[in-house]
Order: sequence, then C-alpha cells, then structure tokens
Amino acid sequence: MISSRWTPFLFLAPALAGLLIFRLTPILVAVGGSLSGVSLMGELRYVGLENFEYLADDPEFWESLRTTLYFNLLINPIQLAVAFALALLVFRPLPGVWFYRTLLVLPMAVSTGISAVLFGLFLDGNLGPMNGFLEWIGIGAQPFHRSHDQALYTLIGIATWKGAGYWMLFLLAGLYSIPSTVYEAATIDGANGWQRFRYVTLPLMRKPMAFVLVADTAINFLFFAPVYILTSGGPSGSTSVLMFQAYRAAFTFSDIGRSLAISTVLLGIIAIIVVLEFRFMRSPEEAK
Amino acid sequence: MQIGRRQFMAGLATTTLLGSIGRAGAQSTTLSAPWMGWPEEQVAPLMAAFEKETGIKVAAERLPIAELFKTLEVRLQARNEIPDVYLVDGPLTASYAARGHLLVLDEMLADDLERFLPSTLVQGTYDEKLYAMPLGTSTQILFYNKKLFAEAGLPEPSADPAKRMTWEEALSIAQALTKPEISQFGIAFENCNPYQLLALPQSWGAEVIGPDQLTAAGYVNGDAMVDAMTWYQELHQTHKVAPVGTFQTGVTQEMFGSGKLAMIVGGTWNLVGFEKFEGLDFGVAPHPYFAKGTPVTPTGSWHIGINPRTAHMEEAKAFVRWLSTRDAMDLWFELRQYPPSLRQIWEERASTNFIDPVWEIVQHELEHTATPRPATPGYREYEDFLKTAMQDINTGADVRATLDRAAQNIDREMRKYR
Repeated sequence: MISSRWTPFLFLAPALAGLLIFRLTPILVAVGGSLSGVSLMGELRYVGLENFEYLADDPEFWESLRTTLYFNLLINPIQLAVAFALALLVFRPLPGVWFYRTLLVLPMAVSTGISAVLFGLFLDGNLGPMNGFLEWIGIGAQPFHRSHDQALYTLIGIATWKGAGYWMLFLLAGLYSIPSTVYEAATIDGANGWQRFRYVTLPLMRKPMAFVLVADTAINFLFFAPVYILTSGGPSGSTSVLMFQAYRAAFTFSDIGRSLAISTVLLGIIAIIVVLEFRFMRSPEEAK
Repeated sequence: MQIGRRQFMAGLATTTLLGSIGRAGAQSTTLSAPWMGWPEEQVAPLMAAFEKETGIKVAAERLPIAELFKTLEVRLQARNEIPDVYLVDGPLTASYAARGHLLVLDEMLADDLERFLPSTLVQGTYDEKLYAMPLGTSTQILFYNKKLFAEAGLPEPSADPAKRMTWEEALSIAQALTKPEISQFGIAFENCNPYQLLALPQSWGAEVIGPDQLTAAGYVNGDAMVDAMTWYQELHQTHKVAPVGTFQTGVTQEMFGSGKLAMIVGGTWNLVGFEKFEGLDFGVAPHPYFAKGTPVTPTGSWHIGINPRTAHMEEAKAFVRWLSTRDAMDLWFELRQYPPSLRQIWEERASTNFIDPVWEIVQHELEHTATPRPATPGYREYEDFLKTAMQDINTGADVRATLDRAAQNIDREMRKYR
C-alpha cells in the first residue's frame, strides 16, 4: 500500500504533469528559442541576444509595446467594471433574472474567431447594418475598425462584449459567498444602500476581483484573433499589439527566434504586471 | 441464436480480410496539396480527372489566400515531407527557391517547355532554373455595369486597347455614376493587394523596387509612388467615388454583382464569378492608364511546385507532368478562366469559345502592357508591408508617411537576403 504521506502528491501528479508539459516546458522552449536564429536554408544556430538587440532597434516593436500597454491599461479596468456592474445587476433574485444571466453569458459560447468575423460584417462600412442604424438615429456613419482613431476602441468593445459575461460569473459567485448576516449587521448599524456597497460588498469582493483582474490581464496581453481577423494590426499600426507582431515575425517573416523573443518580452511584462496587481489588490490586513 | 465455433471463425476471417482490404486501399498514394480556397467545383474536378487517369489521389486543402501563404510557410519551414506538391504564387518562386523549398523542374519538363508561352515561364524561374510550372497567367480588365451606364446616359467604354480610357476619364465617369443616397459607387479595385495596385504607380512611371531587387527606400516611397497612391487615396477620400475599406475580393464582387458598383478593375476569374448574379449585364474594357504615363497591367499567376523532400516523388512528378498536358490545362481553363499558359490552347480557342472581346484584350495586354511584380526573394515581406500600407492609404492615412514607414520596414526585413 502507498503510504499516506505520498497520497496527496499522487492525486496532484496529473495536474502537475499537465502544468509541466503544457505550461512550463513551452515557456522554457520559448525563452531558449529566443536566443536562436534560423538561416535561410533552415540551419538552427545560437545567436545570443541578437533577437533582442533587433527588437530594441525596431521602431515597430516599440510602437507595438506602447499599443499593447495602452490597450491593457484600458481594457482590463473596463472589463472588470462592466463585469462587476453586470454581476450586481443580475445578483438580485428578481423574476426572470435567469433569462438575463443567460443572455449575458451567451457570448461565451461564440468562438473568438467567429465573433470577430460577425462584428466585421456588422460594422462593415459598405454592407454592415450598424452604420445604417447610426445614420437613422442621426449620429452618422462611423469607420470603426477601419479608422486609426477608432480601431483600438472597437476591438476593446468587441473583447468586452465577449468577455464581460464570463468574468461576471466569477464575481457573481463572489457576491453569493458574502454571508447575508454581514449585510444584516450593517443594516442594524444604520448603513444605507451605498454604505453597504462601499463598506461591505467592495472589501469582501477584493479577492474575486483580484482573481478576475489578474486572469483578465494575462488573457488580454495575449489578445490576438480579432486583430488578425479584423485589422491586421492597422490602420497605420494602431492595433498592432505584441502578440500580432510575434505572429507576423513567425509566420510571415519566418523568423521564429524573433517571434520567441517578442513572446519572452511579453511573458516578462505579464509577470511584472500580475505581481503589481496582486500587491495593489491586497487587503490592508494582508499588506501588513 | 447461438454462434458456433465455425461461424465465429468464419466471421473473424471475414473481418480480418475486409480490414486488410481497407488498409490496402489506404495505402494507395494520396498527395497532400495545399490549394487556393476557390469554390469546390473549380478544384475537385481537376483532382478527380488526375485520379481517374493515374489512380493517385490528391488531397487538395482549400485555404483562403492569406491562410494558404501562412500554412505553406509553417509546413515548409518544418522541412519535412509534407506537403508533396503546392500552389506557388508566381512572385514567391524566388522566396521558396532561395530557401530550398522547390524542386528544379527543368529536366523533368525538358521536352515540354516549348509548349508554353515564353512570358509565362518567367515568374517560375529563379537563378535561371525553372522551379514552378505556370498553371496560367493573369491580367486585369475593367468590368462595367451596362445598365448603370445606360441609366446615366453615358457611352460604354471602348474595348479597343488603342482607345483605352485614361484614369482621368475614368474618374469623371465614376463621378457621374456615384450616388451616395443609394450607396452606389462609381469604381473600385477588386482588392487592395500590391498585385492589383502596383499598376497605378507603374503607369505613373514609378520604379517600385531598387535594381538589386532588395531596396525599398527611394522606390516604395519615391515621388512617383507617393503621387500615384495619393491619386488612389483621393478616389476614396476626396472624390468619394470608390468604397472605403473594401480590402477583400468577395466584398467588391458582391457590390458589383448587386449593382452597387458601376465599374470594377478585376481578373478574368470574375467571368465565372459573376455568373451567380442573375440579370447582371456587364461589359469589359482594357485597364485604364494615366495620361502622363504608359499603360501597365498586372500579370503573373499560380504555379505548381514540388517539395524536394516529398516521400512520394514519382507521384508528385506525375501530377505536375499531367497538369502540363493540354487536356489538364484545358479543363483548368474551363474551371477558372485564367489566361492559359499553353500556346496550343490559345491557338485552338482563339475566335472559338473565348468570350469576346475579353480574350482579345487579354492577349493584347499580355503582349504589350503586362508588368510582373518584383522578382525578389523577399517578396513575402515586400508584399506584406506594402499591402498594409495600401490599406492604410485607402482608409485615409498620410500617404508619404505611410510609404516611408513601409519602405523602412521592408528594408529592415530584406537584410537577411543581402
């Protein structure tokens, strides 16, 4: 019989093996690969930091880095706020609330690629219905993803449409886990609705919100499919996020080393930002 | 019912036999062939005809154009035995050949080469060797909607290349045919690719790449290029006679087919493509040119190449040899209407079932105005950056700044070929 000391490890083994094979190994391969280059005839060779030097000297990379950071600075708080607002809306057991919950979760069932294609048709300047509607209500036609000024915000809108319902589920679970006794105590102490939200709900939602923010950040730094399908990084580089640059380096320019160098930079940025987010979202007690 | 030992054994034997027949069937060769995402009825008959003749199957994987290039990049870079054969876009021959992804075909097709029109063999040749066999060539013509011309009281453009319209004339006609209140546009290019649009700067007199075929600075952002692309932008942004942001073939075809577009500059494949629009009555005219410059038309087309690492070399060669036959090329022409690369088909078909006057125009263009895209090993990079720039110009970006940036990026990527 296996000793009980090893039992937990035995149960953890499949998950740990999965983590090792599907997460850690590719990361190590990527970091290793970022130090390599492939010649025209396909010979792999060690190039040291050459790929990173190329990036440091490439204005496209720096612009892409700025775009990626700006995109994340906007999209993560927006998605968190929208998801939280939706969770609060459908938290109360009003009649028919299940219907709205289903509606909000539905975009999850549509794949990212399909939703990008659908939005492409929906927002198309010549054949799409959205501009017809905007003209009808007097706002006038908009170029959306075909305009340097609107493309990034259009993508944020699409990603939020797709993602907010998903993140809402985690926050809804968090809201349900707050014991009703806490609210009752606050009410007895004379707290009004706003005060209950500010001093009970918000502090107790810190952990689920930290999880959503961190997970959402990690996903949005890897934002790719709508860029590839709708804008190809344009117009004029306005949506050229780092993942798109990494993809282009690998699959258009066949420069796997450079692509992995971009991925490695991205990995480093995500790690730093996630650590900062965890610190920021810590409760005052934990911070001590 | 009880199954006896004898019945059980008989059943087992039958199953084993059927299983081995199935395996034998699976062992007959299937060539893997990434192909263009043309409608299935334009691809499957060709493969079926080859299988009927030789018993060799071809698994043609139909992919949209951008996906085809990227799929090929990934598979070829893996440097293993797949794909066996693949479609090569003419200007990419040098790129694939320089990296060892194409088998030299000279010896294999030695007796056949004189059957091809010499001009069609240029793009598949790199370093004086033939690496890819042309399945046809191409040109661009001006399609116009006869009904919309009649409604506006405009005379139809002449089909005679000697009376070719200038772009200046085309613009004023397009203005007369643009009706924003019913979302009707005067003119559009079928898509926004360098293949289609390079004819504009070239007609303006621009050299679009340096003489070493590796330099973009001073060419991609040269004055003539900037002026021609400014004219292209004004078509969309100032005169508003062309729809903005229609980068893909499907959208513009749909607009022309549904009468929302009076003129479209497109390829001969549209002769088949427009058939699906009932009641569409269209005419054709030669590609316009700038009055200050010379007539220039895009050309080049799809080729077939063999992966030198294929595990089915004989079958792959048989496929390419078969495609070079008159019967296969004839069938291919029926299916997709690319101007043929075999001399014999031109001779047999001239003044028979070619749709006139299209083929007179095509023949004239191929002989006099066809200008191939740059023959550079870095065409992938060149095309990718230039296409992005052309799309940005279409949607209103500053022309010179956009082309400066494209030139800078192309030159950075070209370093590896120097």
